[in-house]
Amino acid sequence: MSSFTFSRRGFMGGVAGLAATGLVPHTVMAQDSPIKIGALTPLTGSGGPYGPVMVKAIKAVAGEVNKAGGVLGRQIEIISEDDQTNPEAGVRAARKLVDVDRVSAILGTWASSVTTAVAPICWESGTLLATVSGADAITALPHQGYIIRTQPTTILQGRKFGEFAVEQGVKKLFFFSPQTPFAESQFSNITKAVKAAGGETKSLIYDDKKPSYRSEVDEMLAYGPDVIVLGGYATDTAVLLKDIFRSGYEGKKIAFAYSVNQKLIDSVPAEIVEGIFTIAPSPAESSSAYKRLVSLIDVQNPDPYTTQVYDQVNLVIMAIAKAGAADGKSIRDAIRSVSQAEGGAVVDNAVEGLKLIAAGKPVNYQGASGPCDFTASGDISDSQFRYEQVNGGKLKLLKIA
Amino acid sequence: MLSYLIFTLTLGGIYALLALSLNLIWGGVGMVNLGLAGFFAVGAYASALVALAGVPLPIAMLLACLIGAAAGLLATFATIRLRGDYLAIVTLGFAEVVRMVALNERWLTRGSDGVSGIPAPFRAELGVDGFNLLYLALVSVIVLGVFLTLRRLDLSPFGRVLKAIREDQELATFAGKSVTRFKMQTFALSAAIAGLAGALYGHFQTYISPDHFQPLITIYIFLAVTAGGVGRPVGALAGAYLVVFFLEATRFLGELFTVLEPGQVAAIREVLVGLALLCVLHLRPQGILPERIAPAPKPETSV
Repeated sequence: MSSFTFSRRGFMGGVAGLAATGLVPHTVMAQDSPIKIGALTPLTGSGGPYGPVMVKAIKAVAGEVNKAGGVLGRQIEIISEDDQTNPEAGVRAARKLVDVDRVSAILGTWASSVTTAVAPICWESGTLLATVSGADAITALPHQGYIIRTQPTTILQGRKFGEFAVEQGVKKLFFFSPQTPFAESQFSNITKAVKAAGGETKSLIYDDKKPSYRSEVDEMLAYGPDVIVLGGYATDTAVLLKDIFRSGYEGKKIAFAYSVNQKLIDSVPAEIVEGIFTIAPSPAESSSAYKRLVSLIDVQNPDPYTTQVYDQVNLVIMAIAKAGAADGKSIRDAIRSVSQAEGGAVVDNAVEGLKLIAAGKPVNYQGASGPCDFTASGDISDSQFRYEQVNGGKLKLLKIA
Repeated sequence: MLSYLIFTLTLGGIYALLALSLNLIWGGVGMVNLGLAGFFAVGAYASALVALAGVPLPIAMLLACLIGAAAGLLATFATIRLRGDYLAIVTLGFAEVVRMVALNERWLTRGSDGVSGIPAPFRAELGVDGFNLLYLALVSVIVLGVFLTLRRLDLSPFGRVLKAIREDQELATFAGKSVTRFKMQTFALSAAIAGLAGALYGHFQTYISPDHFQPLITIYIFLAVTAGGVGRPVGALAGAYLVVFFLEATRFLGELFTVLEPGQVAAIREVLVGLALLCVLHLRPQGILPERIAPAPKPETSV
């Protein structure tokens, strides 16, 4: 028998060495050092399915711009960190991006709690934060313009759900949702639309980590709705849908497209998801930016978040060129002059946009997620929505409006 | 870079308080408290909410300790007959209950929006950098104070009774020690320290939400105490700082392996945390700074 010895000194040395690897690249500073942009996406945790593709899109755009000569004569470096879909871990990651890498913008925060936790670090350090989170409260933070959001607010989304339910002739609507930052606002805006058409609504907030939702489904059946709205994420919605199917409910079902997505549809028996309507802020699928994105990252039907970060990185790069400086404050001040310049030439990518900006022409970016025009508080002012229905195990487009 | 180090050290201090809290209850009395995140949350919410209501910060933090201790008493009271695995499960349940209350009692906790804009001491006066430095000093002093107290406790007759209970509860009872009273006192003290850690975290970050208090943090602290050495306060202290540095240092690995996708790097980081725990358990199961048990004095022999 041999026994391992494991000295304290050796262990501490190893850890210190590991920590020191972080110091090395940052001591080298040159005039034409790359412009650093942070990607803070959920690579693990409940947002794990989305993050990796989002980073891929961000890196692809940076690569494309770098190949065309970069911006302000400098290359762009994307530094990716994992927020673990957890605000505590997200803050640590953001601190590293801001304090060590000195990024001028952070893109792609997904969970609302992560965005809210990271936001103060960004506005205090003068770093732009571009997010895909939906909670209304985020843009109400005292962010001094450092937050822009490409995701439509819950108020807008709730109204669209309600209006669609009315189109389906709703009398009694039942709303299922886990406790999310937007559940309450979503429900009250659905209710507003449904009540206006003479219907009524009821909501049930459930725990998104339960293995079964029979008692919740029983409560729904007791109410006797003709339309139910599913406000959850993919994992809990899959479980809930199975229990709804078992209960024999035959009314209509409406869900977020990010939860009832192709992955969920493929993972459950076809009859469970048949006929579900899905609603999502529409990636501007007919737009040229969307088509470019698809060919750039080689992913068919990229999810809304990926289309949004594609727009975010393009906008940030063009804002840097427009401002002639790469710090967060300059990006903040310039971003609206590339996203919505009046009479600007319409562009769908930064490479084209940079050429126009260099020629002194105003640009108006039209992105893969939509027109990308921002209000003073940082919300997008308009968004199209995409309505689909599950038909034979595939999502069939009903309309984009 | 400097501000990042300051931040990491501050966070390390907060983890250290949690590790000391866990070491007291787990290393001391041998009660497995998987509900650490729950007490952490109770302290964070208590202090944040009363501070937002206008209570001065020192009083708010003191209140967080008291409410943490009260929660601890409540939890021990409910679980006093349970030991080992059963206690562990119940405490895990307690943490989830706290998280559910924080998530759903919107009138009190603002639900999943979380509590933002928590007052931070002298932040406006000192600016961000000055504040961070002050806070590091504050947290470090508190950690040192708690550490010295617990070390004193560990070496005192009180500490010896705790270890006697840990080793053999019946024997301790037989020796005339009130096991229930010792357990409740210790659990309350441990919960108060976790509550204090929560209060410090809230005022440092200025934002807390139910998502902050997922069981993940409890696992990190268990890793810290296991790696450091169960049953010895200095082990818990070292373990906590080590875990924070380990978590942060692994970030920089991605830069070495540029061929990997970001998703893979993130997964590797999580694997490394698990591997580190396995390595420690395999190579040095007693931890880096293990508990020192003084040999029993030799019986006096008559000449």
